[in-house]
Amino acid sequence: MKEVAVVGGSGFVGGELLRLLLRHPEVRITQVTSDSMAGRSIGRSHPNLRKATDLTYIRHSALTPADVTFVATPHGESMSRTPELLASGGTVIDLSADFRLRDPALYPKYYHAAHPHPELLGESVLGLPELYRERLRAARLIAVPGCIATAAILALRPLVDAHLLGPSPVVVDSKSGSSASGRDSGPAGLHAERAGVMRAYAPEGHRHTAEIEQETGSRIALTCHAVEAVRGVLATCHAFLARPVEEKELWRTYRSAYGSEPFVRIVHESDGLYREPEPKILAGTNYCDIGFAVDRHAERVVALAALDNLMKGAAGGAVQCFNVRHGFPETTALEFLGLHPI
Amino acid sequence: MTQCPECEATVENRAMVIGEIFPCRDCGTELEVTGNEPLAVMPAPKEAEDWGE
Repeated sequence: MKEVAVVGGSGFVGGELLRLLLRHPEVRITQVTSDSMAGRSIGRSHPNLRKATDLTYIRHSALTPADVTFVATPHGESMSRTPELLASGGTVIDLSADFRLRDPALYPKYYHAAHPHPELLGESVLGLPELYRERLRAARLIAVPGCIATAAILALRPLVDAHLLGPSPVVVDSKSGSSASGRDSGPAGLHAERAGVMRAYAPEGHRHTAEIEQETGSRIALTCHAVEAVRGVLATCHAFLARPVEEKELWRTYRSAYGSEPFVRIVHESDGLYREPEPKILAGTNYCDIGFAVDRHAERVVALAALDNLMKGAAGGAVQCFNVRHGFPETTALEFLGLHPI
Repeated sequence: MTQCPECEATVENRAMVIGEIFPCRDCGTELEVTGNEPLAVMPAPKEAEDWGE
């Protein structure tokens, strides 16, 4: 049994973390912080958790050491506080971008601030069990990657490892639901602005570019769209091949990478409505579905990845890392299969 | 045991009979059993739209 604190519990990711951790058989949540909600019940910000807990929010400054601290604050807020959390002896699982990038020079470029503790960037382990399971088992500081980055990395990394990609940049076209921008997304999140939207909100320069490049070694051309959905990310990756490739080779490549992974499914079916990955049916699940197609005309592979941005793309991924780190079965508290129809 | 001719997924013999049609577990292709000692499969013919009238 681990005593767990959640820092920044009132946001969408914090709520999803609490939903999972409240039903985790090896977790006792001792503290949930939120300066804006201090003194109020968890159910006030997360109505789905009504009567599931008697916990109330406390201020960040009242936080005391825990076995594991999940940090779900906005980017930039945990950079300074993390050394103190680590000094208390517990594990820190950070869901912000503050410890994802190993190169400190990238923080001013993508996050507009120098990193105050670059010495921790080398220690931090990226929270992708599919890539770093063994390192996660002993990690003190785990940085869960961004939702779009998670999808794109899982779609592309097997192709990179199999040396299938040519020298051209890889184009990643992502579509995201509105919860990906958080609870305080400003005017862009208003129903009047968001309803019916198909907006290219970041035609280039999105900060997840750095994470995807770090983990694939490829030059990434990322364009991000907002679409009419609450949850979900679909990353469509257009990668130009180093040589002609048959679909069977891609099956072998992806099966070799993910055949035994509990939360990555290869979805490329010959018939039916859901032949390729579709985020809609993944809402609330920790799955990342990966699909692909070969475009022989353009010598291109189209690699697709779908996930729930709040789950595999954030809180679910964090709980999966928690399970790996502490030796619990990796699927604990993450076994929801989703809804259909939804 | 054999492989799906479309995606190379392992197909195990579950006492299937010749002519039996079943979906590949990985790619969903409908496969028809064409032999069982050893097991052999091929993509099942799709339903034709022209019935020869």
